[in-house]
Amino acid sequence: MSKKEKKELAPVQEEKLNIPDDEVWTYKIEGLAEPQVGVSHKNAKVKKIIFVAVIIIAVSLSLYFSVVALLNTGKLEYKDLGNDQYELMQFSNNGLVKDFTIEYTAEFHYDEDSAGLILSGGSDNSDSSGFSVIYDNAQPVSSIHEYAFDCDNTLEVIRIGANVTNIDVNAFYSCWNLQCIYVDDENPNYCDIDGVLYNKDMTEIICYPIDHDRYLRLKTGYARMEDGVQISNLLDDNGYVMEELWGTTEKYDEVFFEKYNMDVRTYVLPSTVEKIGPLCFNYANVVNIYMPEGLKEIGTLAFFNDGVLNNIYSYKTDTKVTETKYTGDESLGLVYLSLPEGLEKIGSDCFTHDRGLRYIYIPSSVNHVGHHAFWDCVIKEDGNLVGLAEVNVAASKEDFESGEIGSPWLAKYDYMLFKKAIPVNYNAQRQEIQ
Amino acid sequence: MENEKTGLVSKVKWLFTEIKTHWKTPAEGKYVPYKEYLDIWLAVGSNYSGTKTLDYISFAAGCYLIMYHYNLPYVVFAAIGLINLPLQKFWDIMGWIVNDNLGFMPKQKEKKLYTIYFFSILIGIFLMVFNFQPYLDLNNTVVAALNSIRGISAASAIKILGTHILWNGWAGSRNIFWRKKLVPKFGRYKYFLYCDVVPKCIMVILIGWLPVYEIEDVVTRVWVANALFALYNLFGFNNCTELCTQNISPNMQERILVRTYPLKLSHILNSIMVLIIPMAIGFTKNEWADINVYRYVIPIIFITFATLTMIFAGKIKERIPQPPIEEKVQINFWDGIFGVMRNKYKWVLTLVGLLDSLGNGMLAFTTIVYLYTFRLSGLAYGLLVSLISFAGTPPDFFTPYFIKKFTYKQIMIFYQLTRAMGYGIIVIAILLCGDNVTLCGVICCIMLFLMEMTKTVPTAVSHDMDIRIGDYQMYLSGERLESFSGIFGWFTSPITTLVGLIIPILLLKFGFNSNWDVLYVDMSRVNIIVIPIIFDIAGYLLMTIPYMFWDYDSAKQNKVIQVLERRAEVMAAKAEREGKSTAGSFTGQTGGVADE
Repeated sequence: MSKKEKKELAPVQEEKLNIPDDEVWTYKIEGLAEPQVGVSHKNAKVKKIIFVAVIIIAVSLSLYFSVVALLNTGKLEYKDLGNDQYELMQFSNNGLVKDFTIEYTAEFHYDEDSAGLILSGGSDNSDSSGFSVIYDNAQPVSSIHEYAFDCDNTLEVIRIGANVTNIDVNAFYSCWNLQCIYVDDENPNYCDIDGVLYNKDMTEIICYPIDHDRYLRLKTGYARMEDGVQISNLLDDNGYVMEELWGTTEKYDEVFFEKYNMDVRTYVLPSTVEKIGPLCFNYANVVNIYMPEGLKEIGTLAFFNDGVLNNIYSYKTDTKVTETKYTGDESLGLVYLSLPEGLEKIGSDCFTHDRGLRYIYIPSSVNHVGHHAFWDCVIKEDGNLVGLAEVNVAASKEDFESGEIGSPWLAKYDYMLFKKAIPVNYNAQRQEIQ
Repeated sequence: MENEKTGLVSKVKWLFTEIKTHWKTPAEGKYVPYKEYLDIWLAVGSNYSGTKTLDYISFAAGCYLIMYHYNLPYVVFAAIGLINLPLQKFWDIMGWIVNDNLGFMPKQKEKKLYTIYFFSILIGIFLMVFNFQPYLDLNNTVVAALNSIRGISAASAIKILGTHILWNGWAGSRNIFWRKKLVPKFGRYKYFLYCDVVPKCIMVILIGWLPVYEIEDVVTRVWVANALFALYNLFGFNNCTELCTQNISPNMQERILVRTYPLKLSHILNSIMVLIIPMAIGFTKNEWADINVYRYVIPIIFITFATLTMIFAGKIKERIPQPPIEEKVQINFWDGIFGVMRNKYKWVLTLVGLLDSLGNGMLAFTTIVYLYTFRLSGLAYGLLVSLISFAGTPPDFFTPYFIKKFTYKQIMIFYQLTRAMGYGIIVIAILLCGDNVTLCGVICCIMLFLMEMTKTVPTAVSHDMDIRIGDYQMYLSGERLESFSGIFGWFTSPITTLVGLIIPILLLKFGFNSNWDVLYVDMSRVNIIVIPIIFDIAGYLLMTIPYMFWDYDSAKQNKVIQVLERRAEVMAAKAEREGKSTAGSFTGQTGGVADE
């Protein structure tokens, strides 16, 4: 501690000031500035001019930066990787691009008389005339960066060119209206099956677009196109158009609803698939999923927030299955409930928020369960557990826990004032399909 | 041992006698009777808990009501801010003049201000009610630009601007009217409770019950929600009783004593609320996303604490040595501006604030850890939050000791260094053992606990620094000029805005956009937490530099208070001689501004 500081700390000897009545407004304390109350300021004019100038600059700059912050959308950002290859870093939609091709670097182009379009965010009824995307054929894009399309809510179709050889697993995260990802047949690393992204040899499914069921509704006749706009053919009990069917109505009975789910919300993974990629089915409207025996890994957050997911089925077949539309059990060979035999890894948060799930059987081959794998798959309503009320494990407790098991991995429900994990049935037998 | 015991017993006896003797009248050299300690505890505890309850309601993307029910596009908050920003400067200046004159201005000036506010109300209503849509040229650049912002159209932007003008006109005229009526009776810090608490309670109820979030058209939903929240914000309910207690005595030791004991004990009440609110929310079906949180939980808790606040707030007195309100110094715009510019210590703290802004734009680190790493809710969440927020309470009881032992400069520099070190350890833990949720979480919580412990003394010092600066400003300019100090924000806003842009852009790169679920992605969560914290650490280290220039010690403060008391004394005597009112005066000799 310095001498000065020690001096400061010494008990304050209150020095009594003697201030005459007529000096109360002008009395100056030693070491402090002089008071200026009700007096004119020195060089006031110059000071005022300097002050006003500085304030104008400061406020203008602050306004400018705020505008920049607001307009931080409506642009494409690429990174030069060398060797004439580019990486798409950020696709920030201007609210007008519904179909985008990733093959060469591109930029948004606006006609001179459509300057207003450059402001972003995108309203639903934006007039896109005067706007176009211009591609530079000399600059091929070979890579798509993580979160490049993050939270886009306009894009419906993405087309991936032959040059793109690397796509980050998070590239299409939260593309709410994305229906299809199409891949050029010449692409060496990737392919698509009816708008769903796979690696080339179809051993890994990479991305099932969030709004793919909308595309399937059109394809299977539950909707039609009118003037370039998709119109649903489904009507509610009052005769009004309804976009989706979430249950039976007076008009649509159980049989119709089941068929609708099979046509639109059921997905069969090809028999070649060994891995479901991270975030692959997140937010997807998939009610039934068929997994092939041979599947080894379900990635992190693969079925995150797929709240309508009711049934997981597995199938075992000797013939190659490539048809992703469910056409009946007979085309899939032996079909059984829940996760497939041979599965080894369940990623973290894999089934988080999937409260529609009723039954899970973890085969003995599983040796890795990520943390929070079944988080929030159950809820307590009126004293009853709704959702995943228990987990069935084929292995014994010791064998199962000898694997890499995340902590916590089970769903929990409200119990007293805390949360309680759902029970686990070890040495369980797989349930038969009813 | 026996001696120690006797010593303790005699101390307890002394304390008992001291409290009994000075229960209603303060001891020599002190200003606050012990009975008022009890009132402070109850008033601040209720006021603080009520204010914290209102933290759940705000017109921002992070509010659960907005997040789960209104579903407003992320971009609208920035857009509305931008629409209102230019005119806001104008309202600010008018507000400064009114506030720093405590609402008492020459008749002519008051009339001019009322006229401006009145016409603003008319213009605002007109802009909100009239439909401009048919008269807008869609090919106009500005119109097209506004139409292309999601959730906003050119026509709705006019309504939003109208809301802003109407709000400021209304708020401005209320400000003059109520200040003149209530400040002489209730003092400068808590007067507004008496005119705002009832409408505030009504608004808290309406926010949950009005089905504005059911409006289907997003553009209409945005401007109506903006108007609703503007009305809600018209009525204040901040932690003003705590501000009163910071000015409860001209005696520095007594001020710290009040801050340390009754005030700190009142915060325990808030710690309990931090526990109870999430518990109550945990009982609703959809927890944070349940509308009943806003229909029942928040209004019931708020109205209870608002009522308690009103019962006890009147018993707390402000004791700033000041002349009678009618004799106070008149502050015009340039007096105010030049006045605050001459205050060296305001520059020091502005620089500190500027460096602190290096972390601007980061998400609440603790929220991410609790909700996304630990997945806490209900009682478990409440317990952890309470435990950590309580960590600061015991050390605060030793604040007077630390303040005696160390200078303000030393305490504040130590604080910045501990924060840098604490967050540094958190970053290392997240990077090195982020895979192990339990271990990493435990390390983070221990560090948060320790940082909370080391935070309380500097927080008390920081508050006292602000009060001292106010006293010093009063010595310099004749008024505290708390509102005119806002001009420093104008100077620093380009830098804070620019810095505020950097972190969100970085977060965007790591996937944080409008979907908070990205925080479930382990790797992204790590980046989203770590990178902004590194900015913060740099800020903490740099913040030690301006504190080196803090040389306003207790001796100077004592002299400033003497000057202020003398001024109050002389002006009160003058008012008495001239037969004028002495309302609002406190000379340091008798009871302060109070509502008896």
